[in-house]
Amino acid sequence: MPTKVNEIIDSAAAIAKGLGVTLKEFLSPTITEDYPDSPPRFQERYRGVHVLERDENGLEKCVACFLCAAACPSNCIYIEAAENTDTIRISGGERYAKVYNIDYNRCIFCGYCVEACPTDAITHGHGFEIASYDTVTLIWRKEQLLAQPREPYPEATVTEVG
Amino acid sequence: MEELVKLTIDGKQVEVPAGTLVINAAKAAGIEIPAFCYYDGLALQAACRMCLVEVKKAPKLLTACTLVAQPGMVVHTETPAVVEARKAMLEFLLTNHPLDCPVCDKGGECELQDMVFRYGAGESRFLEQKVHTEEKQFSPLVYFDAPRCILCYRCVRICDEGLGVKALGVVHRGVYTEIGPNRGDHLECDECGMCIDICPVGALTSGRYRYKTRPWEMQHVGTICAHCSNGCKTTLGVRNDAIIRANNRDRSGLNGEFLCVKGRFGFDFVEHPERLRTPLVREGGELRPVNWMQAVALVARRFEEIRARGGRIGVIGSNRTTNEENYCLQKFARQVLGTNHIDHHRTGDVVALVDALAGRTGALATTGDLYRTRAALVIAADLAQQQPFLAFQLRANWRHHGLRLYAVTPGPVREEQYAVRSVRCRPGEELAAVEGLAAELKGEPELVILFGDAVKGELVHRLVAFGDSLGIPVKYVCLVDYANSRGAADMGLLPDLLPGYRPVAEAGLERGMALPEILAAPDLDALWVVGANPLKDAPLASTAAFVVVQDLFLTETARRADVVLPAASAYEKTGTFTNVCGEIQQLRKAIDFPGAKTDLEIFGLLARAMRAEIGPANPEKVFEEIRATVPGYNVALPVLAAGGAAPSSPQNGRVPVEWRPELIRSARDTLFRSGTLGRYSQALNSVTEAPGELYRG
Amino acid sequence: MLYNEPHPLEVRVLTRRFGLPNSQSIDTYLATDGYVGFRKALEMPPERIIEEVKISNLRGRGGAGFPAGLKWSFVPRESPKPKYVVVNADEGEPGTCKDRVLMENDPHQLLEGMLIAARAVGAETGYIYIRGEYRYIIEILDRAIEEAYARGYLGRNILGTGMNFDVYTHTGAGSYECGEESALLESLEGKRGQPRIRPPFPAVSGAFGCPTVLNNVETFCAVPAILRDGGAAFAALGTPRNGGTRLFALSGHVNRPGVYELPMGFNLLRMIEEVGGGIRGGRKLKAVIPGGTSCPILKAEECDVAMDFDSVAKAGSMLGSGGVIVMDETTDMVKVAVRVMRFYQHESCGWCVPCREGTIWLRKILERLDAGRGQPSDIDLVAEISRNMLGRTFCPLGDAAAMPTISYVQKFREEFEARLPKKVAVETPLVVV
Repeated sequence: MPTKVNEIIDSAAAIAKGLGVTLKEFLSPTITEDYPDSPPRFQERYRGVHVLERDENGLEKCVACFLCAAACPSNCIYIEAAENTDTIRISGGERYAKVYNIDYNRCIFCGYCVEACPTDAITHGHGFEIASYDTVTLIWRKEQLLAQPREPYPEATVTEVG
Repeated sequence: MEELVKLTIDGKQVEVPAGTLVINAAKAAGIEIPAFCYYDGLALQAACRMCLVEVKKAPKLLTACTLVAQPGMVVHTETPAVVEARKAMLEFLLTNHPLDCPVCDKGGECELQDMVFRYGAGESRFLEQKVHTEEKQFSPLVYFDAPRCILCYRCVRICDEGLGVKALGVVHRGVYTEIGPNRGDHLECDECGMCIDICPVGALTSGRYRYKTRPWEMQHVGTICAHCSNGCKTTLGVRNDAIIRANNRDRSGLNGEFLCVKGRFGFDFVEHPERLRTPLVREGGELRPVNWMQAVALVARRFEEIRARGGRIGVIGSNRTTNEENYCLQKFARQVLGTNHIDHHRTGDVVALVDALAGRTGALATTGDLYRTRAALVIAADLAQQQPFLAFQLRANWRHHGLRLYAVTPGPVREEQYAVRSVRCRPGEELAAVEGLAAELKGEPELVILFGDAVKGELVHRLVAFGDSLGIPVKYVCLVDYANSRGAADMGLLPDLLPGYRPVAEAGLERGMALPEILAAPDLDALWVVGANPLKDAPLASTAAFVVVQDLFLTETARRADVVLPAASAYEKTGTFTNVCGEIQQLRKAIDFPGAKTDLEIFGLLARAMRAEIGPANPEKVFEEIRATVPGYNVALPVLAAGGAAPSSPQNGRVPVEWRPELIRSARDTLFRSGTLGRYSQALNSVTEAPGELYRG
Repeated sequence: MLYNEPHPLEVRVLTRRFGLPNSQSIDTYLATDGYVGFRKALEMPPERIIEEVKISNLRGRGGAGFPAGLKWSFVPRESPKPKYVVVNADEGEPGTCKDRVLMENDPHQLLEGMLIAARAVGAETGYIYIRGEYRYIIEILDRAIEEAYARGYLGRNILGTGMNFDVYTHTGAGSYECGEESALLESLEGKRGQPRIRPPFPAVSGAFGCPTVLNNVETFCAVPAILRDGGAAFAALGTPRNGGTRLFALSGHVNRPGVYELPMGFNLLRMIEEVGGGIRGGRKLKAVIPGGTSCPILKAEECDVAMDFDSVAKAGSMLGSGGVIVMDETTDMVKVAVRVMRFYQHESCGWCVPCREGTIWLRKILERLDAGRGQPSDIDLVAEISRNMLGRTFCPLGDAAAMPTISYVQKFREEFEARLPKKVAVETPLVVV
């Protein structure tokens, strides 16, 4: 008989232990994302859909140097360059990207383009909802990638040295 | 046998001809000594100080670019002192050089970038403000960004020494030194763009290529320039089926790095908005677009019909189509259409020269001969304007080997800058003037004679007789106008000659009508014009003639046509061209032009529609046939495949034809004109120098 | 007139006619042994003239100190090309004004020197390349040339000997670089004043590609005396290997600045104390630039040196063009360095990289240091940039800028350090979003 008693005690202990874990988790804060009911949270370094940044004057940072396209292992960036003129000034340098396409059918979000960019023009945003039934819509144009123009920065405070 | 000098470079025993510079001796030994200002064939500068090397027993570092190799010299190119000096020079160069490589056109093919990667100085200790000046536009084709300039003076030297134009100079002093046009604020020059090409950095940029793409984004297609007869190799930078630039930076091809304004900028006719994209057929008096099947069927039907009733068909070929196409065209005309009324616009009397030489091999000079010959005679031609590469070759010969040049011209020419003797003559008296030089020419060891269209027919024979009378080896160049003018004659686009200058009688044919006679014949039933514009100068007498035109544009001739077939340009096909010196070179297809077909393809379609057999419409196969059947064209294929120039050598004896000098007429194009084609090049017409004039010195 | 009262310690050979009434005229010149040396030379075979100049131990007075006789002997006499005699009167070295007084006071002495050189090498044309700022001297020279023509010392068949010699003055356009002999020749030919690649040296291929004798004004001016009194007598005036006397342009903080003719090997301290009358205001000597601004500076304790080419070189500087600049204890060496570098940056011709880029870089750093905005690393950087220029430039201008700068930093480092801001402000990086 003692074996039977021991068995019951062991079972009860196991249940208590298991429920203990449940109770502990029950009391600790939840880490499950509530997506899609609420927006997901990302680490800063999350590599989502690219953003083409603007400088403090609202001009595009991209000077169409093609280094992102050269660095891209999946060859998904397509650029056509053109020259800024006095009347049409798009970027800070002499050249700007007339066409800037990223083919998200092929992009592997490796971040090489961001690393290659000499002007910090291309960055990874946090966008990820790009799934589509039509692959044609996965080729994003510059207009879709560009950051919204923002308010100019307040007067920058620079300390004169010396 | 030249004297050899033995020296030691980095422990390697090197043997070089006496007088060799250490920088070249090192190169021969496979040791690179970096330099910006040193450039093969140009005057020495020793300005960039990159080539400093250590020489045993010398108190300080010496510039390898000015140092002549001496016997027993011991040179070190990689000692700590040398490495440190190079690094210091790069650091100096970068102090006032903008670090805008991502924007700069030269980024990716910049010599300064390469050197900094290779020899260090990637970090800068320069904290001061850089000297800055605004960018300047020298001409529609040449821009200058002074801060990027490293003052190697290559541009100044190539313009002055290489071309004799002297358009660029140096202004200001010290760190504010700049390259500037000698005319003040703009260039008045050949607009050849050699300065842009030779610039090691992105200081001089091309108005056509600026900020369009980056070097590694293009495919580079080495082909032959579509304009003049010199046959320069041009490397086209192609992206998305568009030609973005042309240069020959790798110095491959017979022209080395040389290109004139046409070769470097004149490619833009291919994308002219008026380019034909679809066949046109005249309906109710107007040309209306149709599809290729309809157009070809119509032409085939009419040709068959006219042939069947024994009508007269005239065929006018082109100076710009490939040898293969020319060969096929005459074959088509003679075998399928049964006509011998074939001609083309003859711009130089090649036939008479071949006849006069009577099978003498080796009497036709190559472009290489122009660089090596000890003496040359130019008759009635403004080489710098009409034959820019030949002019460059002769000038290079004079600079490097002291060529003795004689010029007999109706007006001032640039070659007179260095000619030992220049004679002015009235048109028509050229040969008399040449004969007056006999005593002087007899004293030369050898001679190359270049003659323009003033010397034709009987005069060519007189010239060759004169050459023979000198008692020295004489070679000849018969100057012609266009990219394949020579090939058109070689391929028998002539009413009296078959390919290879064989008389038509050999094929049992009668001599046909020449070009003016075709146009003037009132009873002509059909006229087939391939890549030519004969109606620009003369009207077509026969109003009833069925006219078929293959061309890129709606030219004067095409406007008269009943059927217009859009043709591909030289940059859109493969095949071969024969240049003014008889050198055969291969074209490589750079782009596709939607809607257009190559002339060879069109011949193939027509032949099929007419159920005729002219062999495969494939350039390689046709060239095989040419090699097998045309005397002098049996050249080595590997030479062509490797981008080389294979000299053809007509091997016939006398050419028993009637001399008809009145048929020979050069278009007298300048540097900025290129027949009908030149009208459609925006670049050629955009410069202030256009259209230019001959005999302005 | 710039030339001051003569000093008893002077040995007046080249300046012997200075102060005579109307010393510029040919009459005064002829009355005081003028053209005697040339008449002697006319009777000597050319080789003997060169031999005499060699014996005199006359060394180039432009700055480099190359033996003049040797230079002349390099001219290929048998060359079928015409030969030229060119005078470098582009006196541009800051602190130097000896050629000016020589031409101003005794122009015929220069012409006689040129005539002797022409005789020695067989030249028929001479040019005096004179800096544009010396416009009034050109007038003096032109007048003297006119007189010489009138008296038969220039032109065709000189003094009935069959010798021909024409002299022209040619104005520079204000470039220090044109004092460098090959740049001078380029400028003379009407081109941009930039140095040439050497070899070939001017003696073989100079003006218009022909053999050319090119010397400083003072060098030519010493030649008549050598021929008149003999090379040995001239050599005896100086020290071994440094023949004759030399004109020193003494300037700066001395009581009696001026141009003094002293024997080669004259002691520098004595020159300052006795000839120059000591330091102004009784202050202490701090440093001396012994031969124009291109020479490294000597600290006061290094100044006990004989002023000849070899002794000064041993002391770590150069005799240069004889422009002695004396500085007293109040002198700010950083300011000296800035001022000197400003000059060289302005005068750099832009031909070669290290000089073109190095001088402007140095100038900017030095100006920043002077304004108290330096960084501790700047002082070593100045020395390193200078060293990177040294010996690697196309012509000596780069060395002329680098050598003194190295000496300022090495010898007066503490003054540069004192200029550094006490506390270096930390630059707050601009936030880039």
